Amino acid sequence: MRQSNRLKQGGRIERSRRLTFTFNGNSYEGYAGDTLASALLANGVDIVNRSFKYSRPRGIVAAGAEEPNAVVQLGSSEPSQVPNVRATQQALYEGLSARSTNGWPNVQRDLMGLIGKLGGKMMPPGFYYKTFMAPASMWLTYERYIRKSAGLGRSPGESDPDIYDHLNRHCDVLVIGAGPAGLTSALVAARSGARVIVCDEQEEMGGSLLASHQALDERPAADWLSDVLAEMEANANVTLLARTTANGYHDHNFVTLHERRTEHLADTAPMVNGRRQARSRLHRVRAGRVIMATGAHERPLVYAGNDIPGNFLAGAISTYIRRYAVVPGNKLVLSTANDDGYRAALDWLDAGREVVAVADARQAPDGALVEAVRSRGVRIIDGAAVIEAHGENRVSSVRVAPIDAAAFRISGEIETLKCDTVASSGGFSPVIHLASHTGSRPSWNDDIIGFIPSLPKGMLAAGSAQGLHELGAVLRDGAAVGAAAVRDLALDAAEVEVPQVASLHESAAMALFQVPHDKPTLRAPKQFVDLQNDVTAAAIELATREGFESIEHVKRYTAMGFGTDQGKLGNINGMAIAARCLGRTIPEVGTTVFRPNYTPVTFGAIVGRHCRELFDPERYTALHQWHVENGAEFEEVGQWKRPWYFPRTAKGKRETMHEAVARECLAVREGVGILDASTLGKIDIQGPDAREFLGRVYTNKWAKLPVGRVRYGLMCKDDGMVMDDGTTSCLAEDHFLMTTSTGGAAAVLEWLELWHQTEWPELDLTMSSVTDHWATMTVTGPKARDLLAELTDIDLDRDAFRFMDWREGKVAGVPARVFRISFTGELAYEINVQARAAMHVWKALFAHGEKYDLTPYGTETMHVLRAEKGFIIAGQDTDGSVTPEDLGMQWAVGYDKPFSWIGKRALTRPDTVRKDRKQLVGLRPKDASVVLEEGAQIVLDPQHAIPMPMVGHVTSSYYSPTLESGFALAVVKGGHERMGETVYLPMADGKVHEAEIVSTIFVDPKGERQNV
Amino acid sequence: MSDIKSDLNPGTVNTYDACPGADIAQESPLAWSYLNSGAPAPGPSSRIVMREQAARDHLILRGGAIVIDEAVRQVLGINLPARPQQLTLCDDGVSSLQWLSPDEWLLIVPFGQAYNIELELRAALGDASVAISEVSGGQTLLELSGDADALQQLLMKSVIYDTHPQHFPPGKGVTTVFAKTSLILRRPDDSRWELVVRRSFADYVYRWLLDAGDEFAIGVIRDGAQQGASA
Repeated sequence: MRQSNRLKQGGRIERSRRLTFTFNGNSYEGYAGDTLASALLANGVDIVNRSFKYSRPRGIVAAGAEEPNAVVQLGSSEPSQVPNVRATQQALYEGLSARSTNGWPNVQRDLMGLIGKLGGKMMPPGFYYKTFMAPASMWLTYERYIRKSAGLGRSPGESDPDIYDHLNRHCDVLVIGAGPAGLTSALVAARSGARVIVCDEQEEMGGSLLASHQALDERPAADWLSDVLAEMEANANVTLLARTTANGYHDHNFVTLHERRTEHLADTAPMVNGRRQARSRLHRVRAGRVIMATGAHERPLVYAGNDIPGNFLAGAISTYIRRYAVVPGNKLVLSTANDDGYRAALDWLDAGREVVAVADARQAPDGALVEAVRSRGVRIIDGAAVIEAHGENRVSSVRVAPIDAAAFRISGEIETLKCDTVASSGGFSPVIHLASHTGSRPSWNDDIIGFIPSLPKGMLAAGSAQGLHELGAVLRDGAAVGAAAVRDLALDAAEVEVPQVASLHESAAMALFQVPHDKPTLRAPKQFVDLQNDVTAAAIELATREGFESIEHVKRYTAMGFGTDQGKLGNINGMAIAARCLGRTIPEVGTTVFRPNYTPVTFGAIVGRHCRELFDPERYTALHQWHVENGAEFEEVGQWKRPWYFPRTAKGKRETMHEAVARECLAVREGVGILDASTLGKIDIQGPDAREFLGRVYTNKWAKLPVGRVRYGLMCKDDGMVMDDGTTSCLAEDHFLMTTSTGGAAAVLEWLELWHQTEWPELDLTMSSVTDHWATMTVTGPKARDLLAELTDIDLDRDAFRFMDWREGKVAGVPARVFRISFTGELAYEINVQARAAMHVWKALFAHGEKYDLTPYGTETMHVLRAEKGFIIAGQDTDGSVTPEDLGMQWAVGYDKPFSWIGKRALTRPDTVRKDRKQLVGLRPKDASVVLEEGAQIVLDPQHAIPMPMVGHVTSSYYSPTLESGFALAVVKGGHERMGETVYLPMADGKVHEAEIVSTIFVDPKGERQNV
Repeated sequence: MSDIKSDLNPGTVNTYDACPGADIAQESPLAWSYLNSGAPAPGPSSRIVMREQAARDHLILRGGAIVIDEAVRQVLGINLPARPQQLTLCDDGVSSLQWLSPDEWLLIVPFGQAYNIELELRAALGDASVAISEVSGGQTLLELSGDADALQQLLMKSVIYDTHPQHFPPGKGVTTVFAKTSLILRRPDDSRWELVVRRSFADYVYRWLLDAGDEFAIGVIRDGAQQGASA
């Protein structure tokens, strides 16, 4: 069968470029310019899918985004699989390979179809909820089979070979839709000097003009179209984006556009000049004004058997004939409630095929199009409609009857007509989705028999999107809206001559949604409302009878409007049916809310370039290369990559983490170790009021910290809970260097700026981040002084350079600030040098450190060492609900400071002075080999019935090679008063660990080692 | 407050020449990146060229515009860029001064001059309360040049700010979101864009630019990462 439905001439296809493609394994031919849908129709492929629930054979219905059935799985190889592509929106390319998304084992012979046929009556709405309710444990089993038989496409099982982009765009006017309204509005905006973006979801711009009969200024519509596009293309301020769908309208005129750049070319993006190009792009557009020129979707009529292949939207018939030169059948019956439907009959006749009859629901229609069809000898049956289509895999006949729409009944004799194609038109629904995305509710308009958009601020609607219909009016409206948009932006609107279009006499459309049948809806053959989700008129009626009155509930109960088409075709009909059943009007029933995205967007486009090694920033210190070269394992601390531990390999055996950490710990306790501490946050604070400011943001006192000294500080939020800690050094009378935790750096600076700018602007000081400027190396251990002495001109004498002093001088020839502070409890010097020279200094330390066995250590060893000393880590031992007093750090709280400080008042609240608050304590497992789990819950009575009263949890837990035992920090209710008590930690595996509550300081309780 | 002051630092602020000498091996923030990610040499098809200007010192000035304006006119011979987002270039072709926020400016000067300029500015400022913080080790300057359209596209892929010539003329600079980090984006003249990048994020930005710039055959000119700053 070689394109048996292709007309000899016409259409916008390139007949010189034949393309071969496969569908469900069969090979076919089409032309460049075809969509997959038009090519399938040209080849006479009737069945493109099996329906979701009843597994009925389905064919192509529409020609655009609203297509519910022709949803395919694309891709000839596993990595290039794309699920749920609308065949009507997929351009044909050489070698395209597509399969139906539903149908098992295949669409022609479907096993589930039998069940659908037998079970149709047994599968009412809520079928799955009702049938597979019990037993609940079986749901996972049911689900697997339900998903196998009903479902859409599948995701690829291999990594996507393509790349994707985001593009941030800004414009004065974004025009969505390049049909007649969009183009005239864009033309006005462009000529007015605005920066304009025009996007359109189709392969070609032009919208309805691409298939229009009508002449613009007595020329073919296509001529006017190419002139306008050429003018805009030549304008540097205009960006034309075809194959680009505006998928989401977000607050403040932020619109996301999905551009398919190579989907019309091949499975995966072809290379350009040997380089990869992005397959899809997500344009993130910030627009001054958005013009929604999205047109309208035709509504089908709801009649029995309206899902049998061969049932089409009337407009789709015209599009296939005029744009693709494909006539998808031989004998047509048209069922319409308006004049526009007649265009399909005219096109059908022009294609040389037979129009059996037109059933027009109206009495005595006399519009120009009606008369044109009548004059060609076609039988027009007034006041009638197709009430039922018959056929197995293709329509073979229809039943036509006079109807009384108001009384919802058949009003005369039913006759049967032989045909293979039914076209129906129930009217047009403006495409208002984008206007609804930010929550605006559309309103019903009786004149146009449809919902019109309620426009968010900054958005305008033009043409059919706001219910206009006649081409001339649509063109004029576009120009007027374009002018309004640029005037909003304080530009002068340019004059544009709108092309003249002959006006046709039109007889009024009639509101018709569901067509009455000779049987009541619940007993009639299935009348489909939502083809993709197999929702019938009977299902909606049943839902209303079962008490679902809100349209949102009806939607969820019946699944109407779910899936890839999101109710584009069926929703209005469904609402009208619900309204009829409930005895209400459509505006009373209202509409469901549209949400982004308008059509599915590939994950690749959403992700863009933010994937793989660019998924998230990785922050490196100036010493990163050394760490990599020396075999460090890395830990992520915020976005920083910090060395976690440095496993050594001896005799071909690599240390485990446990072995490496034990070795590193002992090196620091007994020799000398070195840590890259560059990630600590550092804030340079200058100004006469810097000292006063520190006193207000820290809990402790700063009034008397002398130049040359360093002090530990604790910072609370205004709720009295610890947020961060660190040391701050007095560099000069009005000059301090604050350090923060690695993870807290940005938040602390923001917090301080907030308090300075909003609460105490009178304080004269400023802050700047110098985190990245200084590289910090901690040299620590009993031999730290000996090592450093070899490299510095600073006097390291224990009395000249005491614990908590800082000094300036050269280290390895580089100007440095050295801080004698300790996070390990050992003698420690934190050497700060400009990051540019960090590697030089670090390598010099190692050159001299060999004889001391200078040992690099990472964050894990740092954690063990600090925990042995009971030093907290904000965010690990605190969680935003811990006060300084809970930590036992009253020594770091200046209760009597003259000016109140952040968090002070909160510390006197009844809740913060409770005796049974969770307080930080040490835990010593009774079994030294046990390392308690961080997060493990603590109980007092392990015999208590579950649920046991929990009194706290472990916050930090490690094995200490110094203690030769596991140890932990924990918060325990009233813990400070429980020293020496035994507590229990029941584990998930049934074991119960015993531990003793002890001081948080496990090593060197008097702090002598750091003071040597 | 005599117990607070010490001989260590008699002034109200600490000024310390922390610049490593020219004899010290120094590394730009991209030293690791060049090694790890490579640096494709610009070729005939390269529409964009990236070049790090490592041999610069960076200072942050914070305080009142009027006093800072007087000081920079005296010391640098330029007016303070007082308009938001303004970037002023100095005659030496290297130095620049950029508005960052209502009381904050970025001063970029040739390598090794930060300390002397800080002293001169402090002398000119007298008692005025102005903070000067050196951040030379903490950030670097990346320069992008080449085909205007390609540059525009590359920036659109990377920053959310509007870089259209009408909206971003030469002499403008902003702090903006770049991919998933932030940086300072500035346009010294028609043909170049400059990114001021924090050291710890420099590798991410570099890899991003190589990746996003691939379709424009982006090339990298290296002045030599090792001697970098001492050039």
